[in-house]
Amino acid sequence: MKLLTKSTFYFFLLSIMAIIVIGALLYLTIKRVIYKQVDNSLITEKTIIQDQIEQTALIPNFEASIGHQIEVRLLNYPLSNIQIIKDTVIFDPQQNSFAPFRYIFSSGNTVEKDGYIITILQSISEKNELLRFIELYLLFLFFSLLLISILINYLISKRLWRPFYTSVKNAECFEIQSDKPLHLPYTDIDEFKQLNKVFNNMTSKMRIDYLNLKEFNENAAHEIQTPLAIIRSKADLLMQQNNLNKNSISLLKSINEATARLSKLNQGLLLISKIDNQIFHEKKMVSLRKIVENNLENYKEIMLLKKIKVEIDAKDEALVEMNDVLADVLISNLLSNAVRFNVDSGFIKCQINYRFMIFTNSGLPLTTKPVDLFRRFHKGTDNPQSVGLGLSIVKKIADSYGILITYTNINTIHEVKLQYRN
Amino acid sequence: MKLLIVEDDKSLSRSINDYLKMEGHICEVALNLHEAIYKAADNKYDCIILDIGLPDGTGLDVIRQMKANKLSGGILIISAKSSLDDKLTGLNIGADDYLTKPFHFAELSARINSICRRNNFMGMNEIIFNEIRIRTEDNQVYINDKLLNLTKKEYDLLLFFVVNRNRIITKESLVEHLWGDNVILTDSFDFVYTHVKNLRKKIVASKGRNYIKCIYGFGYKFIDS
Repeated sequence: MKLLTKSTFYFFLLSIMAIIVIGALLYLTIKRVIYKQVDNSLITEKTIIQDQIEQTALIPNFEASIGHQIEVRLLNYPLSNIQIIKDTVIFDPQQNSFAPFRYIFSSGNTVEKDGYIITILQSISEKNELLRFIELYLLFLFFSLLLISILINYLISKRLWRPFYTSVKNAECFEIQSDKPLHLPYTDIDEFKQLNKVFNNMTSKMRIDYLNLKEFNENAAHEIQTPLAIIRSKADLLMQQNNLNKNSISLLKSINEATARLSKLNQGLLLISKIDNQIFHEKKMVSLRKIVENNLENYKEIMLLKKIKVEIDAKDEALVEMNDVLADVLISNLLSNAVRFNVDSGFIKCQINYRFMIFTNSGLPLTTKPVDLFRRFHKGTDNPQSVGLGLSIVKKIADSYGILITYTNINTIHEVKLQYRN
Repeated sequence: MKLLIVEDDKSLSRSINDYLKMEGHICEVALNLHEAIYKAADNKYDCIILDIGLPDGTGLDVIRQMKANKLSGGILIISAKSSLDDKLTGLNIGADDYLTKPFHFAELSARINSICRRNNFMGMNEIIFNEIRIRTEDNQVYINDKLLNLTKKEYDLLLFFVVNRNRIITKESLVEHLWGDNVILTDSFDFVYTHVKNLRKKIVASKGRNYIKCIYGFGYKFIDS
């Protein structure tokens, strides 16, 4: 849920609760004020009547009006002084309903010690109506205020949070490889300023670390080359001696194999770091079809030996703008895989057109997920000679030219698709 | 042939020196740029084996100096920095070939031979080994003056063997020589074996002798026994 929605929701919920409480309090207060008024007028009336009775022992004349009844009774025995003010309902036969009334009941004695009872009833239905009207009006007022404030808050927040969302969006698009600095919008809000500062510091630190790491990788790979060359040269010299015994030969053989493997590994890593460093930035239109044909020529004899049938279905030159060295590495890696992991009497099919290129080849079923094959140092086979960099180099090259690469494997059929145009 | 080895790493330059001397070349070593320029100007070398990254400058300066003074002689760059720029610059200003470290001596030897053949092509476009005659200008092989029909890989293999005769050649160096170093073929040793077998068969069928000996644990040796 968005912050703005959430805060609005809570604001709304709590405001409603506050309105209900305040409304109830207001209702009770107004009701009390109105009742007080009614009660006061009842008491005043009663006092006038009482005074008259107590002095003259006569029932005074008074006019009854609608909703206002006075009843006075004189008794010939004394009563104690009581005064009660209460709510009651009286059945109104005209309206055929009960109507609310306030009444005062008062008893006392005249100077002759005769008791009297005064009952005054005052209808309060009009007052109740007024009360309801005031209450509804107030509630309406509260709600409108609430809605207006929510709307204003929403609009202001939306505006205030805009730099935040822009910053987040820009940070999301941040690419560590590209030299483009992270662009964050100007804001005069301290919190966002702080956020932008943190973003900027973090990304620049990330980039510095990345560059250092890249440089280290490259330097390490380069520095390893010379010692490797020394080991290989010494082994070569040692090998040429005539008086080697079986044990030395086997030791030298291991040294040779390990050196070869290390050298391949280093070469692969160097190539990856060179692609990262955009050493191969020169681009030209290359015909992938030609590269495929040249590479197939390179494996002609091997394929003949393995009895692999090759089928090329090229409908287009497949001209793509990229570095020719990398294009060659890309295709040769894919083709060498297709040859390497093929089975005897298998097949390689190559379909080339304007939009994409598909290599299909027979082989053993994959034991791992195709996606994992593109990971560095992931080995699909147990072969110790494989260093597990071939496909990650392929992926790296494809990615750097926006070529979509997919690997699918159904039983013994392997398929690699390079999509260079939509 | 007279060669100059320009390589700042003492251990490596000594190895190269030892190996090339074993091949019958006359070698001199320069450990820095200053020494290299001085020696290249004073003597005539058939080929200079040149490292690019030297302690007192770039080896490319040796090439520039030689070209400015119109000195002849082939130049083979050996570099740890297999960066494309260095390679292109080197080849553009007059180097003949480029070899990335670490390299096999057999490969180094083959490259030096190829450079020298190209540079003094007078009478050098043929390599003769007993009854085998390799014509490098049109990639033809004759045995007892009869044309031998070889595939391109078999021709490369034979040339590599003959140039590196009497030396043990590892299977690894053969793979790299035949398929280039970008290619990683797992079962490539079997392919090398098959290529060698076919080559041997063809030579023997043309009444040539079998010079290719299998050396246990390493690879092969082309030897006139």
